[in-house]
Amino acid sequence: MAAILGKLSLRDFDWPLALLALMIVVFGTWQIHNAQPTESYWQKQLLGLGVAIVAMIAVSFTDYRKLVHIAPAFYLFGLVLLGIVLIPGIGMRIHGQQCWIKLPVFGQFQPSEFVKIPTVMMLAYYFGKPRHSALTLKETIIGVLILALPVGLILLEPDTGQALTYVPLLAVILFLSSIRMWIVITAIVLMMVVAPAAYFVGVKTGALSGYKLERINVILDPEHADKRGFGYHTWQSIVTVGKGGLTGTGGSTEYSQSSLKFLPEPHTDFIFAVTAETTGFFGCILLLLAYAFLLSRLITGARRAPDRTGMLVIMAITGGLAFQLFVNVGMALGMLPVVGVPLPLMSAGLSSILATFIAIGFAISVQLRRFVN
Amino acid sequence: MKFEDDSQNLRARLRVIQILAILMITALGVRLYYLQIIRGAYYAERAENQRIRLLPIPAPRGVILDRNNKLLVDSRPIYNVILSREDINGKDFTNLVKPYAKGLNVDAEELNARFLQLKSQPAFESFMVKENVTPADIAWVDAHSLEFPELRVELQPQRRYPEDGKLAHVLGYVGEISQEQLDLPQYKEKGYKPGDIIGKEGLEKVYDDYLRGRDGYRKVIVDSRGHIQDEVERVEPQPGQDLVTTIDSDLQNAAEEQLRNSVTKRGVIVAMDPNNGEILALASYPTYDPNLFSQRIASKEGRAEYAALTADPKTPLINRAIQGRYPPGSTWKIPMSVAGLQQGAISVDHSNLVCGGGITVGNKFTRCMGNHGVPELRYAITKSCDGYFYRLGLKMGVDGIIKMVDEFDLNRRTGVDLPHELVSWTPAYWKPELEKRHEEWKDIRTVYASVGQDTVVVTPLASLRAVSAIAVGGRMYVPHFFKEARAIGAPDTPDYRPARTFDRPDPKIIDIPEDQHHIVVEGMWGVVNNGGTAHAIKSSGKIQMVGFDIAGKTGTAQVVSLGKDTGNNKDHAWFVSFAPAYQPEIAVIALIENVGFGGTHAAPAVRAIYEAYYRKTRHVEPPGSQMAQKQQRQTGATPPASTAALTAHR
Repeated sequence: MAAILGKLSLRDFDWPLALLALMIVVFGTWQIHNAQPTESYWQKQLLGLGVAIVAMIAVSFTDYRKLVHIAPAFYLFGLVLLGIVLIPGIGMRIHGQQCWIKLPVFGQFQPSEFVKIPTVMMLAYYFGKPRHSALTLKETIIGVLILALPVGLILLEPDTGQALTYVPLLAVILFLSSIRMWIVITAIVLMMVVAPAAYFVGVKTGALSGYKLERINVILDPEHADKRGFGYHTWQSIVTVGKGGLTGTGGSTEYSQSSLKFLPEPHTDFIFAVTAETTGFFGCILLLLAYAFLLSRLITGARRAPDRTGMLVIMAITGGLAFQLFVNVGMALGMLPVVGVPLPLMSAGLSSILATFIAIGFAISVQLRRFVN
Repeated sequence: MKFEDDSQNLRARLRVIQILAILMITALGVRLYYLQIIRGAYYAERAENQRIRLLPIPAPRGVILDRNNKLLVDSRPIYNVILSREDINGKDFTNLVKPYAKGLNVDAEELNARFLQLKSQPAFESFMVKENVTPADIAWVDAHSLEFPELRVELQPQRRYPEDGKLAHVLGYVGEISQEQLDLPQYKEKGYKPGDIIGKEGLEKVYDDYLRGRDGYRKVIVDSRGHIQDEVERVEPQPGQDLVTTIDSDLQNAAEEQLRNSVTKRGVIVAMDPNNGEILALASYPTYDPNLFSQRIASKEGRAEYAALTADPKTPLINRAIQGRYPPGSTWKIPMSVAGLQQGAISVDHSNLVCGGGITVGNKFTRCMGNHGVPELRYAITKSCDGYFYRLGLKMGVDGIIKMVDEFDLNRRTGVDLPHELVSWTPAYWKPELEKRHEEWKDIRTVYASVGQDTVVVTPLASLRAVSAIAVGGRMYVPHFFKEARAIGAPDTPDYRPARTFDRPDPKIIDIPEDQHHIVVEGMWGVVNNGGTAHAIKSSGKIQMVGFDIAGKTGTAQVVSLGKDTGNNKDHAWFVSFAPAYQPEIAVIALIENVGFGGTHAAPAVRAIYEAYYRKTRHVEPPGSQMAQKQQRQTGATPPASTAALTAHR
């Protein structure tokens, strides 16, 4: 360890990235407190932050290439974890989802959060070889299979939100592995055409009905949706965000939307709405800017990566974070249907913060070795 | 970049991802700007609306008192289970009916029907699930607050009336405001809302503005389940103004008792101060329990009770004093006498007319009850000589009778402060009516009309008012119950409601010269005190009260033609009177339906009112009462002189 530390200069440690992440978590902990002042979630979050920082430092000073080298082992271990969580008696069932394993010290542990990292490693392991030609069909199929195994297991829990966050990992890697541009463009165009078409066909045929339809309708027209039924979450989140106005309540939580229990899941899925209510437009824009800097910093790191594997690891992590950010905040702002995706670094949850910090640790590890060979 | 891979334009692809990420974040920022800056105020209001709730605190209504401050009507607090609309929105009520009905022990079908009816209204705030709940019901609501957060228990004052139906027709009752009323501009202006309790009948209706308090409210913060978290503001309700009426409870009780113990138990007694129009007692029988409307009307049993009342052929809901029109019979002879003198058909010096045992008009003979020779007016009144008045009527002519009717306002409402007063029907109404039908007014109708039959049907109150005006020499007051609305609140505050007393209109002056007045009163005095039709009643002793001169007139009004007047078609018994005869303090009228002779049935009932009045104002037992006779036997005391009586009252 000392030898490694000697070789690596602390000057090369990506301080802005680490500090940015740290600041967002501290800010987020304040919001968790605002969301549930009487509960101990924010204290647990600080505890998690401590563990996460240690994990991040440990990972960043480990050579990522050695880790990627044994990626299949991690990947297999991840799949085993995802399998274990499905075993009745070990996996905890909450709200009809079997996503958690109970641990003696840390409480709950959510494998689907962590398995993202072995999955990214496995993808980088496979796609990290020097590339001289466009992506082949075979490569694509193998990439899809690498992703399909964990995603399939997660869908069995079932946790659609988490499963969804795996998709951008592969998408980014395929995109950066010289997938042909016409395929990308065709895929985008198809999505833009098929999504509305599917909505209309679904409504007409009755395939899209009940809560699924209501969750989409509330996005299209929140004023006239069923605000007390399945449109409730979205509507209350919109009201909470809008209520914040320019400056928010300034941190006062008296009779806030969350303390009166109008806003559901305020400390996890809807932490952004709480932020909007307490800090207003100013606070939210500052937070979004922080995220923008964080992502830019990661992409800069990817550009400086010493090899293709490192670049893919960072970019997959970046893609995953950006996707989660967009889905979660979009949901809080009533732009996207409600799916259970936590806001990285903000939402309360040990697994989420730990996994995110480990991922950032990876990114730092890659950068630390940009001048080392 | 450390690894060169230009052929795959990796740089550009990284740039695309970066731009994409920044675009996404920009989109979120734009959306934030829209929600928080452009629409911020709107959503702040929506958030406010869903957490702030105004809960009304119903104001207690003013109490109703008699003239001596005895309580007639008050309110007692009860608990109701209320459903608030805001919490039911979006839920299907039909699913709630069953558990409500089971938990609160109410009829499910009825509950559903009432709710559906209410649902059609655009803006109801709350809905009464059950009124006057038991402690067990309250416990049930508390225990199920998580399951049914829309239910809450509310304290509300409930109106309480005398249970025996005493004064029911005067007091009226309160009830929930109807949709029809809510649509009327005069109610809208006053800010009534669905569920408000307002006066629906009687004094409760007429003086609703005074009696009604101003509701207070609690501004509370509720959570998403409707549970109250905090109270931000509280405005206490202001009770309504207490209403002091002109009613004297003791006289009222006496009147009620007389009707209750009458043969047919149908009739009306009204006592009035002829000097100002203050009504001292008004009883109409059969009566009803107004608590039905203020307490039980929402229940199945209550509605059945109401249906039974409306279907009852004895019409207990009718205030007979102002809504009953009866042939006045011989009581009609009093205004006839005054008018006959006024119009010169007879004079004080030459008031003799033939009785003749009856009269023949055309080929029809209409008889008198006796043969009184050629009586003068006093004797004709005292003996109630029909023959005399047939001829007087013919002398005055129908136009003379119509003039009299007009003079004594018998073709108008008395203006009493009760709703739904009917106008009497007299030749003033029927003659033009017949002319419209191209029918001739025959003399026989004039003959009948001069003894208060055929085309003459009057309300007892109109009749009493006319006789009261004659009693005091021609000053005709508007009969009324309103004495005072007490002040409420502290002076010089916006909430202050000052005291109000009756704004008495000037009496209508009827020109009755002193000598004419005297002769008519003397005749009426004779009825009771000088061998007249109410002098000695075999069954109930004398009507006369020595030292308290009653002047009166009996009436026995035919309901059907002679010969058929038995059973339910018996004559109506009347007695209209005032006392003391030459210094009247009180005027009383009694009508007992279908019992027969007025002197036998109505006069004793009126005497009972005078006894109560005498006892009250002279503080001794009235002369001639059984109690007084007993006392006299024991102590040898004599009844007080009538002069003492004159100053005792007023």
